[in-house]
Amino acid sequence: MAEPLLVLDGVVKRYDDHTAVHKIDLEIAAGEFIALMGPSGCGKTTTLRMIAGLEAPSEGEIRLRGRRMNDVAPWERDTPLVWQSLALFPFMSVLKNVEFGLKMRNIPAAERTKKAMPWLERVGIAKYRDRKVDQLSGGERQRVALARALVTEPEILLLDEPLSALDAHLVIRMQAELKQLQQQLGITFCYVTHSQSEAFAMADRVAIMAEGRLQQVGPPREVYRAPANRFVAEFVGANNLLSGKVKSIAQGIVMVETAAGIMRARENPLLALLPGDAVTVVVSADRAVVSDSTADGENSLAGTVIGEQFVGAFVTLHLDLGDGSTFRAQLQQHALEPLGQVRGKRLSLRWKPEHTVLLKDK
Amino acid sequence: MSASGTTNTTRRSSLFAWALALPMPVWQTLFFVAALLFLVVMSFWSVQNFRVTPDFTFDNWAKIYSAGYFRVTYVRTVLYALLAATLASLIAFPCAYGLAFKASPLMRRIVVASLIMPYFTSYLVRANSWKILLTDQGVINSVLGTVGLGPLPMTSNLFAVMIGYLTLILPIVILLQYFSLANVDRRLIEAAHNLRCGRVRTVFQVIIPSARTGLILAATFAFILSFGDFVSPSFLGNNKPPTLSVLMVDAVKSGSQWPRAAVVALTMVATLLLVAFLAMNFAYGEKRKRS
Repeated sequence: MAEPLLVLDGVVKRYDDHTAVHKIDLEIAAGEFIALMGPSGCGKTTTLRMIAGLEAPSEGEIRLRGRRMNDVAPWERDTPLVWQSLALFPFMSVLKNVEFGLKMRNIPAAERTKKAMPWLERVGIAKYRDRKVDQLSGGERQRVALARALVTEPEILLLDEPLSALDAHLVIRMQAELKQLQQQLGITFCYVTHSQSEAFAMADRVAIMAEGRLQQVGPPREVYRAPANRFVAEFVGANNLLSGKVKSIAQGIVMVETAAGIMRARENPLLALLPGDAVTVVVSADRAVVSDSTADGENSLAGTVIGEQFVGAFVTLHLDLGDGSTFRAQLQQHALEPLGQVRGKRLSLRWKPEHTVLLKDK
Repeated sequence: MSASGTTNTTRRSSLFAWALALPMPVWQTLFFVAALLFLVVMSFWSVQNFRVTPDFTFDNWAKIYSAGYFRVTYVRTVLYALLAATLASLIAFPCAYGLAFKASPLMRRIVVASLIMPYFTSYLVRANSWKILLTDQGVINSVLGTVGLGPLPMTSNLFAVMIGYLTLILPIVILLQYFSLANVDRRLIEAAHNLRCGRVRTVFQVIIPSARTGLILAATFAFILSFGDFVSPSFLGNNKPPTLSVLMVDAVKSGSQWPRAAVVALTMVATLLLVAFLAMNFAYGEKRKRS
């Protein structure tokens, strides 16, 4: 990677009574779409606000193109933000809102309009240029906010849960539009969200945060297939976690003794496991093969179906394992059909050792 | 059974509500609307041998409206009230701004309480007590005298009248401005900063437009209170130069000219209604389309 656009170097944010961000190290490349993702209160918004200069880091350094930004006032930065609340100026027309950033750069009025109009057209709100923002729908307002932030052609755009106020069907469409826009412009998008689907749908890399710390940074597929710890494995959607103890290790396969029997898992050499270590076996919901033959042998479980969720062609089954825990299995609708009515039925689950991820418990 | 019971209860409780609400409209009708109507009627009466006599003559209106001193005084009173409202708004703004955006919650409470406190005492007393400071023998001129300056004329002039008006209106203008500034959406301020709008520029670009309604109402309130005030121009200004309220009192005192005073009073009421209407339109009305 060439010199990164933005570097967070050991950034800490402390308030009087608590620490919101503990020592974050993160490099963001030019032209990258990165998503900061985590549950509410994980410090993702605070991190974004520090990048925009609305909060000052208590420790560490934020560098933009190698320049230390810690003491630069927010109005001296080019880090426009698309706000969760949108924060459009209600006393201005759509056009005036979009022109605001240009006006602050003391660009003459005629030129402002000339620069702003292509952006209004680009996001499809040119016909509303003289309307007040409260006369627009949620989706249209969203576009005004986007145009307002982009009109000054920044190198980096910060977005703080910008789609959280929209209807579900609009969210999907805006995701596609945002991703396309980012690719066309070639600028960096730093996108804060609590939604895994949103982050995974758009981002080149996701940075998962919890309790003020970065848990894992990587491309969505990698985070999904190889969660770095228990938190990520649980947060990133459809994983099943089985706790146990290492029994033996041989030929890249670890034998783990769990409450439900012996499980074989792929060895992760980085963990340097020893027999007796407490570990968690992670099995993706889509890796488990469901059948109505009886469960036998290793890497198999039996459970009673207590729930089904249909999302298009996919079905997620919730199986009660009998020991108080549930197992989620995701399969295609057509693969489920031969089993007939499954609710209440006892089914077996099976998976290959190479489809597991092993985590060491602390 | 139960249905009729409910209707009965509803009727009874609505009667009860009416009974509670009634005194206020009755009061207003008797002492405001009726008094105002009486004022209109009286403005067409005449005065014979120092006695007000029912009549129907346009004489009072003609006399007052053709008098040069009335027209001059009218313009002066409007300008004085405008000046007072402008001064109060300008002086109050930094204070209200600090109160809304900078002060700690404790500080805010202390200041708000101290702004209400002046109204514990009669305004007449407060305006009069300024005399102790402002007259030629007053505290300020005594101090200036010891260093060989003055005495500066600080009563019976515009300065004195303005001091009086501000005594009356400044605390309430600060409070009204503070309440409207406190309601400004902080997220808009951050959004402005984020779009390269510095602190001072944000005040003019975002904070004042956001608080517009409250700021205009505060200034309107200041205008209305100053326009009708009698205490300041008469006690601190010593009726020099006079305002409409002084004129009105003079009309009654010298020659029992109640009908002419009624003409002045009605002119003032009409002016205030017009100002209040214009200000409301300006504050709440559709903001002009800015291209």
